[in-house]
Amino acid sequence: MKRPATLLAMALLLLSFALIGYRVIWLQYPIFPAAPQKVWRLSMDGHVSGGENETTVMVGLPFTHKGQIVAEERIRSGTLAFNLLREGPNQVGVWSGVISPRGEGIGYSATVQVRPQQPTKTKTPILEPYPLNIQEEDQALAKRLVRRWDLLPPSDRLRRIAAALRGIWGSSPPEDQDLKNWSAFQEKHIHLDAVLLLLRAASLPARVVEGLQLAETVKGSTLTWVEVWTGQEWDTLQPDKGEIHQKPVPFLPLTTNGLSATRVINGELSDVRWTLSREIINQWRMQFDRIMRSNRFLDRWSLFRLPPEFQKTFRILILVPIGALMISLLRDIIGLPTFGVFLPLLMALAFRNTGLAYGLGIFWGVVLFGYLVRRQIDKLRLLLVPRLSVILTLVILCIIFFALLGNKFGLREFMAVGLLPFVILTMTIERFFVIVEEAGAREALWTAVGSAGVAVITYKIYQLEPLQLTFFVYPELLFAIAALQVLLGRYTGYRLLELFRFRGFWRSS
Amino acid sequence: MILKAVRWLREVGVLGMNCRNTEYIMRFNPRSFFPLVDDKLKTKQLAKAHQIPTPPLYHVIEHHGDIGDLKELVSDHSEFVIKPARGAGGSGIILVSEHSAEGFTKQNGEVILLKDLTYHISDILSGIYSLEGLEDRAFIEALVHPDTAFDAITYLGVPDIRIIAYRGVPVMGMVRLPTRASDGKANLHRGAIGVGIDMGEGTTLKGVHHSRIVTHHPDTNKPVTGIQVPHWENMLLIAARTGEMTGLDYLGVDLVIDRERGPLLLELNARPGLQIQIANQAGLLRRFQLIDNAPPEIFSTPEIRVAWALETFSARAAN
Repeated sequence: MKRPATLLAMALLLLSFALIGYRVIWLQYPIFPAAPQKVWRLSMDGHVSGGENETTVMVGLPFTHKGQIVAEERIRSGTLAFNLLREGPNQVGVWSGVISPRGEGIGYSATVQVRPQQPTKTKTPILEPYPLNIQEEDQALAKRLVRRWDLLPPSDRLRRIAAALRGIWGSSPPEDQDLKNWSAFQEKHIHLDAVLLLLRAASLPARVVEGLQLAETVKGSTLTWVEVWTGQEWDTLQPDKGEIHQKPVPFLPLTTNGLSATRVINGELSDVRWTLSREIINQWRMQFDRIMRSNRFLDRWSLFRLPPEFQKTFRILILVPIGALMISLLRDIIGLPTFGVFLPLLMALAFRNTGLAYGLGIFWGVVLFGYLVRRQIDKLRLLLVPRLSVILTLVILCIIFFALLGNKFGLREFMAVGLLPFVILTMTIERFFVIVEEAGAREALWTAVGSAGVAVITYKIYQLEPLQLTFFVYPELLFAIAALQVLLGRYTGYRLLELFRFRGFWRSS
Repeated sequence: MILKAVRWLREVGVLGMNCRNTEYIMRFNPRSFFPLVDDKLKTKQLAKAHQIPTPPLYHVIEHHGDIGDLKELVSDHSEFVIKPARGAGGSGIILVSEHSAEGFTKQNGEVILLKDLTYHISDILSGIYSLEGLEDRAFIEALVHPDTAFDAITYLGVPDIRIIAYRGVPVMGMVRLPTRASDGKANLHRGAIGVGIDMGEGTTLKGVHHSRIVTHHPDTNKPVTGIQVPHWENMLLIAARTGEMTGLDYLGVDLVIDRERGPLLLELNARPGLQIQIANQAGLLRRFQLIDNAPPEIFSTPEIRVAWALETFSARAAN
């Protein structure tokens, strides 16, 4: 007898978990879409001015790869055209067009989640030739300076060079003449060239990266650092301080091939402001854009594809089965009576507008008042349907009265009863009356308490935003809820209140 | 504490609501046969066809238009009962013991006006007392004069006998005694007392009143224990035949004992209550299991089933 139900429940659970598993593993959904996580909010603003010809502004922008997710990208381009281009390892945002004399404001913003635990896998880069502006004698000088470390592993070589940049040459320093020549070279060239020269001389592939420091800042310009290949991965070297950064690196790269993060052709970019701020959002928001663009079947059939104005309704609707599960629990496991089966669910929905205290107050206020009137009406000997209609009219009058009262005293909650299910109120008054007449006021009050209790619990469930979001992302969780409902339907044990009801039995022994 | 209570109830074999609904009602009472017992008029017809006595039927009122003739309809009968055909739990039943100048005197001495009575019947027809709020029929039948056996422990009203029948075997019985609180009605949830019956002897045991065990009637203060129930075996036989009659294998059989006519079938209930277990201090589940494990030959005739039940479920056998 129990087996088919159990099998059905198992099948439903399996279906639910299979779909969720598919989404998590293949479509890379977050397991806990509502779990909070720290992300960076990046924004760039600038003012472009130009001449009569077309102006082009190119800005290196972050993009999604294994090490980071970029979402919620917003572009401000005014009258300019905007394009996203791949340029080598970089993603470049290109604003172009003829600028009016007053200039044009451009902007970019995005949410960036850095995932340091997932290093980017890169091919070993080839060692590039010396830069053209380096003389051969300087190349030879640099080679002499680093020759002593040639046999060390790459990461050690990098560490020695970093120390040398701080002026520390170790136990056996190079000849004085070489050091003197090196100082002269440093004076003639920019610091970055000196760093790159030493790295090249030590056969360490390196690249210049422009980006931002990951800190809550507002900056007018970007930061430049050097990434050095040490055999397995790119290590980060801050050239001016001669400092190697431990992972995770506190930088957000914008361009990684030595190109400037912002370039302008035929014009000028001024008042550039890079802003980074910390933000805590739920994991879902990071995935949202990607899933909205995805062509996978389950992504296309996601509830998020509904027009936003309808999504709100479904966010609540999808939680109603949990409320029904709650009622099943309370009635069949605990044994609490309620007015009708689903009345508390509708009450809870109405509470969303009125708030809990006002909702309960108005509800029981109307029911109690309705009950007193119903007692009087009983003497009039009205036929059933007209009598119910009278009560219904009374309920509507009550609601109108409450709304006017609320308006008078500025209580919005009193006016927000619009969705309060008046038919349900009417039937509750009738049921309340019948239960008081047939089973006594005690039983009626018990039922009232039971209904209100379930309504409050259900309301609390409806209000749980993480739950809303989780079910909205994974509607297949409803199969799991159905499975629980099936299992509950086969619960043949005693109800909690039955233990009390049959207390004569177990006390007498 | 909770686990201990559960273990004890399980040991006694007490049937709980969930188990009753899923394992017995849904399994043994096919939905399609429910109308036979949900409508008292249909039950009456069925009983007549199977030679099971019921209170004589005077009139059936089906339409609002017929209510106007009420005065003529009842003019032949000084006492009568008005019932909704599909009423549940004794609701909507009015017992009239005599006509008077102002109207009708109810059994509890209250006088009810003719217009009140017609209003009441109109309510019945509208379905206010019916199980699913469906349109209903009202019927007028003879007032029962209960056997004197329970006079000392009855406060107004008519005591009735509830017998649980499972697969045609009578399982457990109780006498339901109206109290002042129950307004002469014999329904436990309205405050009537349920008194258990020793299946073997047909004598009353202790009573249950609002889930509490009682030994005396709260209004008359007379002991409820040790009274011989008249026509006991006869009533068990009626209960044993209801299964075949309705096709329902788990039934609450409500009988009343008329002074002259003997046991009469009042109604059948496809969802019988569980309080009877407290009155009898015995679990239904245990007895159902005994029936399920009984040899097939005991099911052959109602007489054999009753004999087996008398033997198996008597207080001496302690099941």
